[in-house]
Amino acid sequence: GVFAHLELLEAQAYKAAVKREEMEQQEEKLAGLRARVQELRLQRDDLRAKLDLQQKQEGVVSGPAQPSPRAVVEWKIKSVKSMLQVFYLTGISGKLTKRGVCFCISTAYEGTYLDSYHLDLLTKPEVQIYRHSVPIFIPLQQIAKKYLQTDIRRFLALLSDHLNAYVGRRYQADQLQEHFSDQIEGTLQRNSLCNLLVFNYNVSSTSKTFPFHARLLYRDLCCSLPTEVIVSCTLDAPAALAETAAAHMDLFRRMALHKAFLSFRSNAGESMD
Amino acid sequence: MDETVAEYIRRTVLKIPRDEIKAMLQKWGFLSEAQLETVNFHQIKEKISQDVVQLCEENSADIKQAAVLDIIYNHIYPNKRVWSVYQMNKRGEETEVFELTDFKTKFKRLLRSALKNVTISFREYEDNAIWIRIAWGTPYTKPNQYKTSYAVYHSQTPYVFISASVLKSNLPLLCQALLFASNYHDIREMELRSHSLNALKDIVFKRYSQVIFLCFLFSSLLVSPAVDLRIVEENRSEKERIERLTREAFGVGPQPKLEFAQYKLETMFKSDPKMDVLDEKEPFRCLVKFSSPHLLESLKSLAPAGMADAPLSPLLTCIPQKARNYFKIREKKGSLPGSFVSP
Repeated sequence: GVFAHLELLEAQAYKAAVKREEMEQQEEKLAGLRARVQELRLQRDDLRAKLDLQQKQEGVVSGPAQPSPRAVVEWKIKSVKSMLQVFYLTGISGKLTKRGVCFCISTAYEGTYLDSYHLDLLTKPEVQIYRHSVPIFIPLQQIAKKYLQTDIRRFLALLSDHLNAYVGRRYQADQLQEHFSDQIEGTLQRNSLCNLLVFNYNVSSTSKTFPFHARLLYRDLCCSLPTEVIVSCTLDAPAALAETAAAHMDLFRRMALHKAFLSFRSNAGESMD
Repeated sequence: MDETVAEYIRRTVLKIPRDEIKAMLQKWGFLSEAQLETVNFHQIKEKISQDVVQLCEENSADIKQAAVLDIIYNHIYPNKRVWSVYQMNKRGEETEVFELTDFKTKFKRLLRSALKNVTISFREYEDNAIWIRIAWGTPYTKPNQYKTSYAVYHSQTPYVFISASVLKSNLPLLCQALLFASNYHDIREMELRSHSLNALKDIVFKRYSQVIFLCFLFSSLLVSPAVDLRIVEENRSEKERIERLTREAFGVGPQPKLEFAQYKLETMFKSDPKMDVLDEKEPFRCLVKFSSPHLLESLKSLAPAGMADAPLSPLLTCIPQKARNYFKIREKKGSLPGSFVSP
């Protein structure tokens, strides 16, 4: 019938209208998005321009994402240095290794950081020293024989005492040789452990004679002050000098060597002439 | 000035490379700066040495001063001599108090009591090394300045480095003098010899530098060499295995400089019984000697270069730890045939 045909046409028209509307909506959306894209592109270009300008002002070249080999090396050196700093400050520090432990003993004398020494220990089958950088004249084997197996803390403490005392004695002798060489006759006589110092000296730096003879013996290897001091004068020296010698003997026993010499300078005007 | 002294000084100066002569004479300190200024150090060495002898004549040099020049020369060029290492032992564990003047007096006293005709000279260096030069004579002849022995001793250590001269017969006397002066009670020669005195010191003093420990501790921070990305490593795992084994055997850092390692074999020749070679049950005597300008570095590079399998034989890698480069390998006694290194 005609009505059925009309209904069919109406339905078709309705579907077409819906489709058209959908398409129109989509096109609207698309146009909207396209506009948004344009907007964002403009924003991006704007920011890029700003960044370029800023970088040009700072002089920084925008490099690749990967750091250069040189930068890597520099970073590595920096890490090692800061690790070393930590080691120095802690005195004795250790790091576990595949086969045992590696210890670092850093030494200091009166606020000055001096050498570091390393010990590479194996823990199996028993605790033993594999490698070390301890000087040969430090009685490492003796200390190890006594305490390494039984009390490792004591072993490390005792070794640290020996090493700190040794560098302390060496530091004093070096300071004396370096800063007071005009008051010492020739060079200081010493030995590897710096536990015996023998020298002729004077309190003033202008005199050409060295009337005092000093012999400092450090029998305690864990101590940076001498256990025995002998200061003598030549036999024909005046009595005043003998008194000074006695005073110096006491001074050297109590005070660091270079500090004692420093105190001579401040007293120079008073006693000697 | 004695003619023999003049000749000795002349010959010593001739040994020195021309560019180093002035510096060495300055170190010697026997001739003044003013005197040295008068010498033309650009002429041929023959002329330089004659001029130097002339100046020494003016200052009346004697054998003592000439000996000091010889020590200075040998201290700067120790590699011209072959050095052996001697180890000393002492009873007891008291704190060593080493006094240099005491040492020198005792040393001279013992030597001179046995042999009147000796020239003994000492020179100390900042690293606590005491260099001793001895020119030997006989009861009837003056000391021969061209046949000298050198001993280098670091105080408060049990090692002495000796470069003996041709006259080996004086060695026991030298050892006795060293023992007496240093307060040790026995001495033995180690199986360790080299031209490089510093290498020997590194080995027996176990001088591992801080850098080596740092590399060991922070192995992850070791800088690997720049790699060209166009090269593809096919055997990467094998290469890393070899590198690891080499690092474990030789450690990190430069090796002490030795020139040779000698292995004296006294082992039985092992052949197929059917071949019937060398039927007598006597050890097959054989001497194997490895030489190189730098033996340990070349051994270290064998496996990475693909010339030997890793790990290398412990007989080769144990050299610094055992502090020896002369070995005797004998048959191991027991059920298993094998070999062991004699102590």
